[in-house]
Amino acid sequence: MRRTITLTLVLSLSAHIATIAMAQWRASFTQARAAAVSGDSKTKLPTVREVDAAGVKKLLQRGEGTNARPLLLNVWATWCDPCREEFPDLVKIDEDYRARGLDFIALSVDDVAEINKGVPAFLQQMRAHMPAYLLNTPEPTVAINMVDPTWGGEVPATFLFDRTGKLAFKHTGRIKPDELRAAIDKVIDEK
Amino acid sequence: MKKNFALALSLVFSLAVVVTANINVNNEPVAVGSTVADFKLPDVMGKEHSLASLKGSKGTVLIFVSTGCPVSNAYNERMEKLAQDFKARGIHVVGINSNVTESSDTIKAHAVENKLSFPILKDKGNKIADRLGAQRTPEVYFLDSANKLVYQGRIDNAQNAAMLQTSDLRNAIEEVLAGKPVSQTQAKAFGCTIKRAS
Repeated sequence: MRRTITLTLVLSLSAHIATIAMAQWRASFTQARAAAVSGDSKTKLPTVREVDAAGVKKLLQRGEGTNARPLLLNVWATWCDPCREEFPDLVKIDEDYRARGLDFIALSVDDVAEINKGVPAFLQQMRAHMPAYLLNTPEPTVAINMVDPTWGGEVPATFLFDRTGKLAFKHTGRIKPDELRAAIDKVIDEK
Repeated sequence: MKKNFALALSLVFSLAVVVTANINVNNEPVAVGSTVADFKLPDVMGKEHSLASLKGSKGTVLIFVSTGCPVSNAYNERMEKLAQDFKARGIHVVGINSNVTESSDTIKAHAVENKLSFPILKDKGNKIADRLGAQRTPEVYFLDSANKLVYQGRIDNAQNAAMLQTSDLRNAIEEVLAGKPVSQTQAKAFGCTIKRAS
């Protein structure tokens, strides 16, 4: 009889400890997910800066003068399948060419509500380190024409400007990495 | 008399050359002000339609659409409302799906699900998208009663209807219906790339 009581007590205590441990694990998991969304310091999401059409103009005019470097601009959105599909190739290109003298800007055209959520979360998932911006404008035509007047606004769209700011290469739709790399090699080699 | 006849004949011939040159029959993208030549495409049931058979008495709105593009889908209700609002006023809306990735069955199911009542044509091999120079979804080509392109581009300024400021397409339609020239003939917006056959 005593043995049965002891066994029952031990089992009950074990179950209790297991329940507490499970609750604690759940709480830590929820906290980690919340941190990933809110940008908590331990799992800090990449910074995405908001720009308007004038901001895009400034980005395109970066580095004017003797220190000018070629600029690769990728316009994308989290809602765009080919944009997400091509991103790993773009991250690799950024890694391969940054030290060789290429500037790279990723410009999201997502809804501004995604600036601290979906956009940085995707960039983090991609391990992307290029400067990231989100275009917030009530009049997209101005920003689109500023990048390239012949562009209709379809995404993904990738533009390569040489060190003088002249458009050297562009591609709409999913990039062909070899083609883009060849174009980058050419503008980097130009002195 | 003979001289006058020759002069008149020469004038008629010159005029014919000018008119023919203004009708787009080759693969150059159609420019605002030029006339879109008639074409035929099948609907989702496989039945062929010509532009002439679908056009409105006052004008025709061709919209390149997609079943999978979130931007195009954000406009489903607005496109349907546009078709309903202007049908009785002589403006017909025609959807064109040029995406190689979207089948007629998918387009049919999508139209039923989203209550799209206007005809949607399947542009296999993206021939009409190429002819008009369409690049994204949604993208509009608004033709007047003579099939002259009078407005090209976006439906309005905002994918998110709550941010709507400029109803560019509706403005163009109202101007045509009022017999006025279209003041804003082109406007751009972000959208999905048309997935062309390789």
